[in-house]
Amino acid sequence: MSLSWTARITILVAAVVLVFVCLFPFLWMALSSIKTLRELYTVPPVWFPEVPTLANYMKVLFASNIPRYFLNSAVISLGSTAIALALAIFASYGFARFRFRGKAGLQAFVLVGQLLPTAAIIVPLFITLRFLGLVNTYLGLILIYTIITLPLSVWMLTSYFRAIPVELEEAAIIDGAGRIGILFRITLPLSLPGLVAIIVYAFVTTWNEFIFALVFAQDYRVKTLPIGLAEFSTEFNTDWGAVMAASVIMTLPVVILFLAMQKLFVGGLTAGAVKG
Amino acid sequence: MSSGREYGLLFVLPAIIVLALLVAYPLAYTGLLSVTDDQGHYVGAANYAAVIGARVTTTAVWNTVYYVGASIVLQIVLGTLAGVLLNQRFRGRAFVRSLTVIPWVIPGIVAATTWAWMFHTEFGIINYMLASAHVIDAPVGWLTGRNTVMPALIAINAWKLFPFVAVMVLAGLQAVPNELYESARIDGAGFWQEVRHVMLPQLRPVLTAITLLLVIWGLNAITIIYTITRGGPANRTLITPIEIFRYAFEQFQFNQAAALSVLFFAVTVGFVAAYIKLFATTAEPGVR
Repeated sequence: MSLSWTARITILVAAVVLVFVCLFPFLWMALSSIKTLRELYTVPPVWFPEVPTLANYMKVLFASNIPRYFLNSAVISLGSTAIALALAIFASYGFARFRFRGKAGLQAFVLVGQLLPTAAIIVPLFITLRFLGLVNTYLGLILIYTIITLPLSVWMLTSYFRAIPVELEEAAIIDGAGRIGILFRITLPLSLPGLVAIIVYAFVTTWNEFIFALVFAQDYRVKTLPIGLAEFSTEFNTDWGAVMAASVIMTLPVVILFLAMQKLFVGGLTAGAVKG
Repeated sequence: MSSGREYGLLFVLPAIIVLALLVAYPLAYTGLLSVTDDQGHYVGAANYAAVIGARVTTTAVWNTVYYVGASIVLQIVLGTLAGVLLNQRFRGRAFVRSLTVIPWVIPGIVAATTWAWMFHTEFGIINYMLASAHVIDAPVGWLTGRNTVMPALIAINAWKLFPFVAVMVLAGLQAVPNELYESARIDGAGFWQEVRHVMLPQLRPVLTAITLLLVIWGLNAITIIYTITRGGPANRTLITPIEIFRYAFEQFQFNQAAALSVLFFAVTVGFVAAYIKLFATTAEPGVR
């Protein structure tokens, strides 16, 4: 099938516009992060820095809390991803492979978790965590992020498990394998793309989250990167060079992770929805 | 298949318990907070009356409808166009597909601060580009002007999430059987007729489910507004979730914040339930 010239040119122009719209802010972020103060604050703005500088990165890496926040973000994101993954594997397997009383109700309950407006639960959650002594702790934040990512993880993984033919498991049952053994030796290896999808989803969601972190992490020992970024701007003054450098630093890990895992992730995410 | 009546429940239970502790319990507690004062005494509907009576609540409701509604229209339209484009055959398609997803995966606060810098009145690149193209004569205070701040925030929000729509639309289009296109072509359909009579009808279930997700996310996503304006200037960008946040963590009126939360949650659930009922067969994701 060959397209006409006008069609080809239209597609080409549209693709260029799309890439430009998606990437321009990152280009500007990166360019701004290597400019000197003088070049950042000139009218009209200069496109490319005459003398590129790493001063903004130096400031962010050696004269701020950002490295510590990076560590905090990593610990909290990995921790909550691990817990959400473990809970989601068992819950999804239960939903996908068993009949039991109240199943529909419980499934609906899990989905309601996804519907909850952040603002509606943040106050009681704050009071609950204060009562448990978990404000300003890794564990508190890990639990919070687990409940945020768990509902969608269960939903995605359930439809993934359903897509795996039951016959494969039935053969193993006849051979005398236990349920848990079947789950770990047969079902999970077959669901690798689905597992990767929810790992990426849970990690990126936790890494990026701002509002809950703002409320539940008020100490530098647990504050995450998004909070660190907000700290560079005060009401009266924003250090735009440092903000852009910090933005680059916290964006790179998620973008790299996502691009590396993209095929699996998008496949896993869309598997449930598209069948409709 | 089933072995052992309630055996499956054991698999599900850990997740349910965690969700119950950290979702159901706080939710019930919100209900309790909303009908008591800060000493814990029962006050009936006083908190609700105070919240509903506040003029700022009405402002926030309209702002929320405007912000979420306009964002979703833009996200669906741009996302569908991008999805249709990414479904065409052209060189470098895989590359463009990968790049398109990036705005969606980056942290919301990075998107907010980067766009705030681009929208900067004096040093922003957007004013500079518009002035160079003679679209504007004097620098526009996008994020400080009463009439420009909401459209600017909606644009940022749309930019952040239209890639998600594009990905889902693309996946939906790839599930369309080739025969449908072929028979359309045999009937002599042009490209736009194909879009209208083949693609859009096939995409309906996907778009229905996405719209629901976008509504829920839109009502949740306060990062962009909170970071850039905190609801200002003069409450022009104050949406209900931010109003709740202000009650709770700026004025420390937890009880009024709880009352507003209950109202907000009720309206959200009502809307979602009505939506699912309206599009019943298609909008129940994952439950076959």
